[in-house]
Amino acid sequence: MAQNLPIPVVFVPGRSFFHRLHPLTKLVWAVVAIVMAFATRNPLVLLGMTVLGLAFIAVAGVVPAYGRVMLILFPISLSLIVFQAIAPAFPQPWIPISRLGPFTIYREGIYSGLSLLMRTYAGSTFAVLLVLTTHPSDLFAALQKLGVPHELNFMVSASLQMVPIVQREFQIVLSAQRSRGMRARGFSSVLPSMVPVFAGTIERVQQLAMSLESRAFGSKGVKTSLRESKATATDYVFALLGVVLAGAGTYLVVRYRDLLDWSKVEFLPPWLSVTIVVVAALTFVTFTIALWRQAQQE
Amino acid sequence: MAEFPIEADRLTHVYPGGVQALKTTSLQVQVGEVLGVVGQNGSGKTTLVKHFNGLLRPSSGRLLVMGHDSAGQPVYELARHVGYVFQNPNHQLFSTSVRAELQFGPNNLGLPPAEVQTRVEEAVAFFDLAALLEQHPYRLAFPLRKLVAMASVYAMGPQVFVLDEPTTGQDHEGFNLVRRLVQRLREQQKTVIIVSHDMALLAEVADRLVAMWAAEVIAVGTPREIFADDDVMRRTKLSPPQITQFSRRRWPGQPDHLALTVAEAVSWLNPGH
Repeated sequence: MAQNLPIPVVFVPGRSFFHRLHPLTKLVWAVVAIVMAFATRNPLVLLGMTVLGLAFIAVAGVVPAYGRVMLILFPISLSLIVFQAIAPAFPQPWIPISRLGPFTIYREGIYSGLSLLMRTYAGSTFAVLLVLTTHPSDLFAALQKLGVPHELNFMVSASLQMVPIVQREFQIVLSAQRSRGMRARGFSSVLPSMVPVFAGTIERVQQLAMSLESRAFGSKGVKTSLRESKATATDYVFALLGVVLAGAGTYLVVRYRDLLDWSKVEFLPPWLSVTIVVVAALTFVTFTIALWRQAQQE
Repeated sequence: MAEFPIEADRLTHVYPGGVQALKTTSLQVQVGEVLGVVGQNGSGKTTLVKHFNGLLRPSSGRLLVMGHDSAGQPVYELARHVGYVFQNPNHQLFSTSVRAELQFGPNNLGLPPAEVQTRVEEAVAFFDLAALLEQHPYRLAFPLRKLVAMASVYAMGPQVFVLDEPTTGQDHEGFNLVRRLVQRLREQQKTVIIVSHDMALLAEVADRLVAMWAAEVIAVGTPREIFADDDVMRRTKLSPPQITQFSRRRWPGQPDHLALTVAEAVSWLNPGH
């Protein structure tokens, strides 16, 4: 049942080094990693970053949760390779290396597809690490210290909390309509299941607003937080380490960008390039069909 | 017609994640019977009744609907025989008029338009909804909305009705309405299964009670038998209706003088009245 898919990116409780790290330190790492990932196209550099991120994920002990995220991200990101291979996001002229039915595969395309894919992983691994090892309240408390308005934090965290509630509500409504003979298929099932879910959600939000007001949500003055996180020397050192590493890395990849630009080099043999494109296309199509059929079955 | 509209045969249910929500349960529900399912929250009541129309499937054992194994029959097929009215009518109603709401179920069953029309008219007559037909279900007061939800299931013409907490959030008038409806369903030889904490309702309308505790059926019997069973009452943390408790103190040691309704107790107090 497609609606039953749990949200994969949620906090996993634990006591690892990364769990104990200050939320802002992890946020710094995620931001600098994304900056550096977008500073280069070189697949090898990006691969190195991804490997470092994976090592962190392993140390944090959140490998299964990370795997669930990748299970969704991986097949979708494969489409990048397929589309880039036949239409590279590069200035023309492109170097054709092979033909695949009506499509021509270009060397720049393979390069561009691979680097976009690796860039996605290099950046998202550190971001996912932050989300998986940080309790949302700690993150919001830390952001508030940085001066992010209390209301904004609350809006984001309240919306996040609504997601599982709405998901469960959707399940109940679907059961109720199936009990009335609905076949839960195609467009005809949208109205009977969506109207009660949205009407219920709007009602719930209105009640939440009243309940918040009656607990002095709009009052002026400094807000305190139940969850206090103090930054230790380790937090500062590790944040600094991230900034220095990524700073140096970014400087180097920009400084030697001509050397690291492999778009005109044959860095993969043509047969391997074609294999990658075909496998990526097949995996992507299989995954899409599997999801579609799963949705049809219910 | 099958001997038992609903028959559970060594049914168990384990939720994904390994929580045993229902231990081995066997149960036969009769034609024209009103069966109350009682127990604390989390005792497995809803898990049990959700098997009756296929919303949940047995982890082991069988569930027969109208004498046929429900395995392999989708919910929309079982819905012909078993109507399930959810606790919150807002989860069921979505149309812009009561009439459209009543047509939804019969249409899903693939009935010809004339038959759908007949079914809707029957439901309107049974639930006395003629004045509300063109109203928007969301604009109706809660008890009426609940009534429309029940009527929308009635229009599908099932043999078995599963009512989940039909009196929750109902005022006294709503309570009486539900009571009368259940009694009339029984007169039509329908089978009604009520999941409820409302002991006063069940004392009046139920033929039998199923008491559940910790994912298990611990007793099945008439309301009198169940309310008189101190062990069951203690374990399920249920308390009999006030009039039943009163009559036990008024006529101690007389099991035949266990009142289920106020009228009953009054008739015993004033035999000539």
